[in-house]
Amino acid sequence: MKNRLQGARCVNVFFSLATLALSAFPLQASAQGEDKPWAALQKSYFPGKKLEAAPFVRLTAPSRAASGDQVPFAFSIDHPMTAKQFIKSVTVFVDANPVPLTAVFHFNPQSGKAEISTRIRFESDSPVHVVAESNDGRLYVNAITVKASGGCSGPAPGENVAMAGAGKMKMALDGPFKRGDVNKARLLIKHPMYTGLQRDLSTHGFRPALFIDKIDVTYNGKPVMTADTSIGISENPSIQFGFLADQPGALQVVIRDNQGATFRQSLDVGG
Amino acid sequence: MGNLLRVAWLLAAAAAAQVGAAPLRVEQVAPGVYVHIGQHKDFDDGYDGDIANIGFVIGTDAVAVIDTGGSYAVGMALKEALRNITRLPIRYVINTHGHPDHVFGNAAFIDADADKGSAQPQLIGHAMLPQAMASRSDAYLRNLKKQLGSAAEKSTLIAPRQTVRHRLTIDLGQRKLELTAWPNAHTNNDLTVFDVTTGTLWTGDLLFIERTPAIDGTVEGWLSAIDELKNVKAVVTVPGHGPVTRDKNGALARQRAYLATLLQDVRSSIRQGTDMTGTMATAAASERTRWQLFDVVNRRNVNAIYPALEWE
Repeated sequence: MKNRLQGARCVNVFFSLATLALSAFPLQASAQGEDKPWAALQKSYFPGKKLEAAPFVRLTAPSRAASGDQVPFAFSIDHPMTAKQFIKSVTVFVDANPVPLTAVFHFNPQSGKAEISTRIRFESDSPVHVVAESNDGRLYVNAITVKASGGCSGPAPGENVAMAGAGKMKMALDGPFKRGDVNKARLLIKHPMYTGLQRDLSTHGFRPALFIDKIDVTYNGKPVMTADTSIGISENPSIQFGFLADQPGALQVVIRDNQGATFRQSLDVGG
Repeated sequence: MGNLLRVAWLLAAAAAAQVGAAPLRVEQVAPGVYVHIGQHKDFDDGYDGDIANIGFVIGTDAVAVIDTGGSYAVGMALKEALRNITRLPIRYVINTHGHPDHVFGNAAFIDADADKGSAQPQLIGHAMLPQAMASRSDAYLRNLKKQLGSAAEKSTLIAPRQTVRHRLTIDLGQRKLELTAWPNAHTNNDLTVFDVTTGTLWTGDLLFIERTPAIDGTVEGWLSAIDELKNVKAVVTVPGHGPVTRDKNGALARQRAYLATLLQDVRSSIRQGTDMTGTMATAAASERTRWQLFDVVNRRNVNAIYPALEWE
C-alpha cells in the first residue's frame, strides 16, 4: 500500500484506506478459467459438476500479506440458513500451496450464517478458491488472490516450545450474548500445526506433520459447525464462527489431531 | 599517492563498469571503518537488494566484512569498493543476522563449492543462524528471484561454519573485533560487532534509524536488548538501516518508544476483542509520522506479534 499521508490527524483516513486495501476484490469468474492449478483442483474435487460464480460468497483477505505464516482470511456467505434452504459446506483451497485443500467447514441452520474468520498459510502468491455447497447440491464459487510467501515451509518452533500446552483452548463470545439471534464466538487453539514441510536441522530432515484435523462445535448438544482442517491452517489456530442461540446454554468444542489425540473445551453463554 | 589512488580507483571503476559491477559507495565513518548506507526501500516496492547498511573494517593484517547485502551483485560491488581501498586479505565475513537484505551477498565472498583446504574468508554468524537460514532459504530465494529477476543471479544463502553462542573476539592485526550473540530480539540470530580501537558499534538490525523497525523475533526480547545496548560505550554506531550516528542512546530511545507503543497497543486491542486485521490498521498509529515505510512494516509487525500475544 502506498499511503503517503502525513500527520496525526490522518489516523481516521489511514484506518479507512487500510481497511480498503485489506478487502481485495474477488476475481471475476472469467479470470479463473485460465487458472491451471484451479482447473486441476476443480477436476479432482468436483468432477463433472457445475460451479456457479457467486459474488455472494464474500471473501476477505489482504491483497498483500505481511507474511505467509498467519494470513487473516474470512468468508461470509449471504444465503438463507433455514431448514429448507441452507449452505451445508464450504471448502477452502489455496491453489498454489503444497496441500491446497486447507479446510472444509460444515454448517446447518443452527450455524445462523455460513461465516468463518481464521488465519491460513501461503507458501507463495496464490488465489484462494472457496466453494460453497447448498443443501440442494448447488455449488457456488468465488476467489480472491493474496501475495504472500513462506508460510508452509517457514521456521517451526522447536518441539519443547510448541508442544507445551498443545491442545489448550480459549473460547469467548465476540460481544454480549444475543438471545434468539446469531452469536459469534472466537476459538483459539494452542497447537504448532506442523506441516511436514518444515526443515529440522537437528535431524537433517523435515519435522513430521502434526496438525488438528477435526473441529466439532455443538451448542446445547446440537451441532453448529464442524471443520475438517489441514496444514494450511496457521499455527495456533484462531477460528471465529457463528451459532444460533435460542436460549442460554453450553457451547462445546471437541478437537482431534492427526495422531488421534482429542481435546475439549466448553463455554457457558447467556447464563 | 592521493592522485595515484584516485587514478587506480577510476581505472577499477571503468573496468568494473564494463562487467556491470560498479563499486558501492562507501564512507569512512571512523579510521579503517567503512560503511555503505542502504536505501529505505520496501521488499515489495522497487527492491534492488541494496537496502541494508553493510561494510568492512581494516586491520594491519586483514579485513573483516560485516554483512554482504541483498544479492550476489551487491556483495560483488561491496568487494569492488573494498578492493579499491585495500589489498589486504578478507579473513572474515560476519553476518549480523540471517535476513535476505544482509546476507545474500555472502556468495560474492565465499565459494560454497570450493575445496575445504582452499583459502577462503571465514564466515561467522550467531549459533542460531544456520537453522534460521536452512528453514527459510527456499522461500527467500524464490522471493529474491521474483524481486530482482536476472539481478538475483548467483545469489545463494551460505550458512556460517563458525558460529557464536555468547562472545567471540577476532583479530585483524592491531585491531580486535568483539562479536556478541544476543537472545531472541529482532530475530533469534542477532550478532553485534564492536571495534574496540575506534569504539564503533555495528548493531545489525538491533537498531533501526528512520526506517520502521521490523520484528521477526520477540518485542520483549528486543526491548531488553535495547536496554543492554544502552550500556555499550560506543563512539560511533552503525545501525542496520539508516544513518550512522554518534547519538546511539537517542536512537535506541526512539526505537524503544515505537516497540513499546506497538506492544501496548496490540495487547490492549486483544483485551478489547479487536481482531488482527482491525489491530493492523490502528496499532502504534501515534508513531506513524516518525518512521519511513510505516504503513507496510507496522502492519507486518502486528501480523507477526498478535498471534503469540493472544496467548499471554
